[in-house]
Amino acid sequence: MTAPSPRALAWRRRGAAFAAGWRQFASQRSGLVGLGLLVVIVLLAILAPVITDQGGLDVTEATGGTMAPPDGEYPLGTDRSGRSVLLLTLWSSRVSLLVGFVATLLSIAIGTVIGILAAHYGRWVSAGLMRVTDFFLVIPSLVLAIALSTVMERGIGTIILAIGLTSWPSAARLVRAQTLTIEARPYIERSKALGGGHLHVITKHVLPAVLPLVFVNTTLAVGSAIVAESTLSFLGLGDPDPMRPSWGTMLRSAWLDSAVLAGAWWYLLPPGIAIAIVVLAFTMCGRALEAVLNPRLREG
Amino acid sequence: MNHPLLALRDLTVRYTGRTREVAAVRGVDLTLQAGETLGLAGESGCGKSTLAMSVLRLLPASASIGGQILLDGEDVSTMKWGRLRAVRWTTASVVFQGAMHALNPVRRVRDQIAEPIVLHAPSPPAAAALRKRVDALLAQVELPAVKGDAFPHELSGGQKQRVMIAMALACDPRLVIADEPTTALDVIVQAQVLELMTRLVAEQDIGLVMISHDLAVLASTCQRLAVMYEGEIVEQGESRAVIADPRHEHTRALAAAFPTVGDPVYRYAPATSNELGLPDPPPATESPGEPLLAARDVRVTFTGRGRALTHAVAGVDLDVRAGEIVALVGQSGSGKTTLARTILGLQHLTGGRISFDGAELPTSAKGLRAYRRRVQLVLQDPTSALNPRHSVYESVAEGLRIHRVAGDEREHVAAALEAAELRPPEEFMPLLPHQLSGGQRQRVVIAGALALRPQLLVADEPVASLDASVRGEILALLLRLRARLGLAALVITHDLGLAWNIADRVAVMYQGELVEVGSVDEVLAHPHHDYTKSLLAALPTTG
Repeated sequence: MTAPSPRALAWRRRGAAFAAGWRQFASQRSGLVGLGLLVVIVLLAILAPVITDQGGLDVTEATGGTMAPPDGEYPLGTDRSGRSVLLLTLWSSRVSLLVGFVATLLSIAIGTVIGILAAHYGRWVSAGLMRVTDFFLVIPSLVLAIALSTVMERGIGTIILAIGLTSWPSAARLVRAQTLTIEARPYIERSKALGGGHLHVITKHVLPAVLPLVFVNTTLAVGSAIVAESTLSFLGLGDPDPMRPSWGTMLRSAWLDSAVLAGAWWYLLPPGIAIAIVVLAFTMCGRALEAVLNPRLREG
Repeated sequence: MNHPLLALRDLTVRYTGRTREVAAVRGVDLTLQAGETLGLAGESGCGKSTLAMSVLRLLPASASIGGQILLDGEDVSTMKWGRLRAVRWTTASVVFQGAMHALNPVRRVRDQIAEPIVLHAPSPPAAAALRKRVDALLAQVELPAVKGDAFPHELSGGQKQRVMIAMALACDPRLVIADEPTTALDVIVQAQVLELMTRLVAEQDIGLVMISHDLAVLASTCQRLAVMYEGEIVEQGESRAVIADPRHEHTRALAAAFPTVGDPVYRYAPATSNELGLPDPPPATESPGEPLLAARDVRVTFTGRGRALTHAVAGVDLDVRAGEIVALVGQSGSGKTTLARTILGLQHLTGGRISFDGAELPTSAKGLRAYRRRVQLVLQDPTSALNPRHSVYESVAEGLRIHRVAGDEREHVAAALEAAELRPPEEFMPLLPHQLSGGQRQRVVIAGALALRPQLLVADEPVASLDASVRGEILALLLRLRARLGLAALVITHDLGLAWNIADRVAVMYQGELVEVGSVDEVLAHPHHDYTKSLLAALPTTG
């Protein structure tokens, strides 16, 4: 029998660490509830084409009455064009979640790279990058996002870019601070004395140490990205294609159709509640993860 | 007065963790009369700090105390909270370990010294009287009254320690517990602080319990010594008697770990119980070969705030020959660590030059990488020098991977662990740093350096954070490595005993300059420079 290779041992150790982390996570009820909600919502969004018919979104094929209240056929009523609000809400989740995830990944990726580079190289690199970060931090991100999405072609891609490019500074600050504390550890000095270059130090020591933080931050940021997407769509900067609605565009059309004056609560509430639930679920998950990965929070 | 100042009767302290119980103190009996001084010696983890803190019930909630702690005849463990509060500081006070962390950084030291006086006064004392009292306390610890208005960061380590002692004396306690009061201090400052404590205790008839891992420190201040090992007191008696004739094996190890400089018994003989023994001392060579490492007029200057220049290294000439162990001795702030970092190319030279094996120290990234295969660093604190997420194998293999060393990685790692005497290597490979003892961790760091087969090892205080018994083992390892691999070493230390233990030559550094360089026997036996003389004079003696 040969001894297992060190790589296999390292993976086994990571597996054990993951299992221990999961037990910690599972001991927090709010985190589990959040995770459960997310799994259900994401499954529904992914399976929407299987369980429903996208044709129902086409205004020309809508069958329901105009702003009809909920009844047996349309459990959440219909909009002005006679489309099912339930169907709209379900399909909207696809765009909202997609934008939320991709924009967050983009912003966290930018933030992580800039934060690590600034902290690792220090001096003028840090000064330069941090001034750029400060610039993005002080201009109102919503205004910048609006400006970006007016200059560029309207669509999902633009929205993702607009959110991603405006929300990374806080992640950059956070990652920079964490990197600075890691870089002060003597094992970084040892690694340099062993001959390790910048790439080695960053990939072998710094990145693995900041990743948990980045991960938590990602989870918490998805919620705000979804809110940002809804805001931009509500302001009319979202995807104009009616076949790809989002919760923000639903709210916008409800507002344009004077749903409030018409007393059509079934038109306004579903997208609003959906946003609230998803953001809450991400926050609950993120907080629970934070408590698992940051032992200092565990004691309180 | 018929009862002793402090009496511990069958004291046990247990820490209840989540998974298991740890008995930190197990059945200790101790008595201290008023005006007596007692030294408590032992390695880290032997329970000596727990024992001391239990006297004032300053232990965390997870600790459960058994037995009796009689302070002036009164049992501390059954005292009401109000009574305990009154007793703390007025009857017994503590000089905490690590003065830099025990002082509040945002308050003037005067207010901090006054704090216990104000707290314990029946009515708030008048400002003028309080000021006078604090000035008197500062004078007792030989600090000028102006220093009272300083913030902790404006004071040196020794001054902070004096402030801590002044705080401890603020309410005229009858018992002072000093927990490693000099551990972080330089030899010279340590000597001053010890002298001060001895004088105060004698003048004011205070009972003193002093805790340290260094028998020499205790012996120079305390009348009686108690040696703790794994929660029990294994030996107790008059200081002189304990040190001259240690009966317990552990006491012998502790006593041997701090060598007497100048005593030929300790020359090239760090305390080790390893069966590999010690190599023969190197033959005295009169014709020195070409230096492996040559530093000429090395200067390193830092620019601080307000463009103030600090000359950390101010014109140093130093040679290290192949297979030679050179000790670089100096107190903290003398620039010795900066010099080491410069030699490794981790710090830019301001002036002068360094050559290794005849070639100039490279400045390009590629040249430095190649250079660092031949010169390796061992850091002071092995706990933080290893990435806590990397296993022993990964830590040792790190250098091999960086340099893409040809051959079987596993064999190289095994050979390096073997060379650092971690046997059998296979058992250590999958372990994480937190599963190792301090000495084992330092061996892993050394193995990581050895894996690259360097010609020179630069060791920055390699044993300063290790326990006494481990200290000798690591030093013996360095000697054996030199004998077997011809490895040269530049050992940076504040400890002259270490130089006496292993070094061939010693270089004494003072304020960025080398004030004396020569063979160990010569320099330490017949010092020329005043600074070297004062370093030697400040060594605590067991005699």
